[in-house]
Amino acid sequence: MLDGALLVRRQRVPLRLSAASYLGGLVFGLALAALILVQLGVPAAALWQEFVVQTFLTSQGLGQTVTAMIPLVLVGLGTALALRVQFWNIGIEGQLWLGAMAATWVSILDLGPEPLRLPLMLALSMLAGALWIALPLALKLLWGVSEVISTLLLGSIAFFWVQHQLFGAWRDGTTGFPTSPTLDATERLPLLGWGQVHAGLWLALAAVVLAAAVIGVTRLGFYARAVGANRRAARAAGLPVLLTVAIFVLGSGALCGLAGAVIVTGTEFRLSQSIGAGYLFSGIVIAYLARSNPLAVLVVSFLLGGLYTAGGVLKVFYGISEAMVLLVQGVVLLSVLCAQLFADYRVVARRPQ
Amino acid sequence: MGENGAGKSTIMNVATAVYAADAGEVIVDGRDVPLRGPADAMAAGLGMVHQHFRLVGSFTVAENVALSLRGAGQKVSVAEAARLLGARAAELGFRLDPAARVDDLSIAERQRAEILKVLLLGAGILILDEPTAVLTAEEAQALLSLVRRLAGEGRAVVLITHKMREVAAYSDRITVMRQGRTVLDAAPAQGLAMDEVARLAVGEIPAAAPRVAARPGAPLLSIAGLSARRGDGSRALDGLALELAEGEVLGIAGVGGNGQSELVELLSGLRRPEAGTIRLGGTDLIAASPAARRAAGLRVVPADRFDSAMAPGLTLAENLALTGIASGRFGGRWLVDGRKMRREAERLIADHEVRGGGPTTPVSLLSGGNAQKLLLAREVSDGARLLVAHSPSRGLDLRATRAVHGAIAEGVARGMACLLISEDLEEIMSLSTRVCVINNGRLSAPMPASEVTPDRLGALLVGHA
Repeated sequence: MLDGALLVRRQRVPLRLSAASYLGGLVFGLALAALILVQLGVPAAALWQEFVVQTFLTSQGLGQTVTAMIPLVLVGLGTALALRVQFWNIGIEGQLWLGAMAATWVSILDLGPEPLRLPLMLALSMLAGALWIALPLALKLLWGVSEVISTLLLGSIAFFWVQHQLFGAWRDGTTGFPTSPTLDATERLPLLGWGQVHAGLWLALAAVVLAAAVIGVTRLGFYARAVGANRRAARAAGLPVLLTVAIFVLGSGALCGLAGAVIVTGTEFRLSQSIGAGYLFSGIVIAYLARSNPLAVLVVSFLLGGLYTAGGVLKVFYGISEAMVLLVQGVVLLSVLCAQLFADYRVVARRPQ
Repeated sequence: MGENGAGKSTIMNVATAVYAADAGEVIVDGRDVPLRGPADAMAAGLGMVHQHFRLVGSFTVAENVALSLRGAGQKVSVAEAARLLGARAAELGFRLDPAARVDDLSIAERQRAEILKVLLLGAGILILDEPTAVLTAEEAQALLSLVRRLAGEGRAVVLITHKMREVAAYSDRITVMRQGRTVLDAAPAQGLAMDEVARLAVGEIPAAAPRVAARPGAPLLSIAGLSARRGDGSRALDGLALELAEGEVLGIAGVGGNGQSELVELLSGLRRPEAGTIRLGGTDLIAASPAARRAAGLRVVPADRFDSAMAPGLTLAENLALTGIASGRFGGRWLVDGRKMRREAERLIADHEVRGGGPTTPVSLLSGGNAQKLLLAREVSDGARLLVAHSPSRGLDLRATRAVHGAIAEGVARGMACLLISEDLEEIMSLSTRVCVINNGRLSAPMPASEVTPDRLGALLVGHA
């Protein structure tokens, strides 16, 4: 019982303690997940093999995890950038859909000369993602409209727009399914010769490095920290608050848009109704666990990518239902989140009364 | 009694089980009471009125009381709570509308509501934390007589305060704390020399700030016809006008809520005026951005430093750099020079004797006095021509108050002008060259500080002159 103990907030959280609590939470969560899976009939011996060896330790498994990680890094980073300036981007999937559509649009119309096709697809996807978040941003800055509602709703609109295209003008004529025609070879991100890992990895890593540099050593990063910490004080100090918020939020939209294009051009090679599902949830979890730190976003995305890869294996080879896979993943994430308590607070035994 | 940070509020929060003690016991009526939470303290008859009231702003007074009573396990309807409130208020000899929304009440009325609530919860021991800090002199008098009446009913009342003189006359016994220890234990108030009590509370007394010499230079600030409305449409400032010269301190006294906060926000550029001009050294700043105003030498110390001046989550160095970074003082156009930022912070921290942390400590870990010293170090720096200071020593102990006043006086001696807005007359009188009073968004005619008498000021404060 907590009656016997007190929680005392730490004034400073040492890095070592923070890392230890993440790790402790992860181990506890995985153990709990293992327990559930054994109950469901997965042989205990196979767990180590599937969860750890096949996901992180074999070249093929690691390749799958890294492939899953690439778009996660981009959406996680996107969410983190917006959070830095206290903007809740709940429309990650909307911007992702717009980015995916922009890339598909370029491919269908065969815009531009062939060597420039792929760069154009990627650039336009960023522009589309940024434009899709520009409206909620303008509404917020001009009239204080809550971005939580506006970005969320624009996410739904984006999805309906995708459906409208896929069931209409963009439907693949050869199969009749509601997916866009497959991309030409020149429109795909080159593979790196390691499973399905594609050149999107370099884009994701570059985005991480760029974001870390902007936040860490530039004046713009300092402005963002000040705006995030106390917006009124930043304004009174004469900092360009609106500009800072606009740059970070548009950057957030652009990264999410890029994630959409990277999924289309890197792994799926076509636009379908299912490619964007789940990224809203993932983006927020990643940004939160990483505390909006770009380098931590990379680490968390990698682990989450592993979790998703293992989930896929469980579904296909052990007949575990989608719901149970989500439950297991939720258990792991929740225990990592809960373990934060021990980093932020000291538990002190209360003397007996 | 005791200075800020002496531990007065802490010990009372322990007594009411808001905080848990590491060691020690709470004895009520000779019995050791185990306190596991505020509910236990309430059951033991301890009731505390905190400095920041525990009332739901969007509820009526009666709803707040009903909420608390039900929380304590009594099934009371809002109508019954209203009846109880009315009866208890009448007994104590004041009026309070139980159907009024707490947000619509004045601070003094909220305080009365809070006291009534605690009494109705059955408090035999009433603890008031800095009850007079937010009240005008008259309201404080009324409150202290109310406290005497409650004591007359047989209740024990604890008054936590650092305003010694004001409270001493109403107390039977006085306990003085300093740095977490009791230095005077429940001495009978009668026959106690106040100077002695003050010395006990403070330890050694730092030298008083040097009185600012009345040596006004060239005219600097000229405000005319300044008008503004609050968010609810009521008039905050009504054609306010003033003149201020270099090296001069204009003290604006007045009861809180007469337009002071709005005036400060208009000057810092956080609020748009309806009409008027603010000329600083000949340039009209009325439409200028906060950045342009700072560049022109206008500096602001607002009443709440964490509202619009500093960010508690940022470090000392970052907070100090907040205002200089946009002009490129810490790095070039694109990058930030963290080392230069920390070096400058080290210098300012040493020069202004800020204690409790270094350049990389978050400001939230500083005490109020040290945070305020840090803010003044930033605002009264190179290029400051006009300092707008709103209640700069509110909530600070004597030592920190002296440091803050010293920093202002030093700036003024260098030729900076200061607009000092405060409800603390002692503060106004110790720094100002001229004094005026703000009332309903208008200023009285300024008078030289030497001609100010309590009678004249008192009449202006209540708006009868």
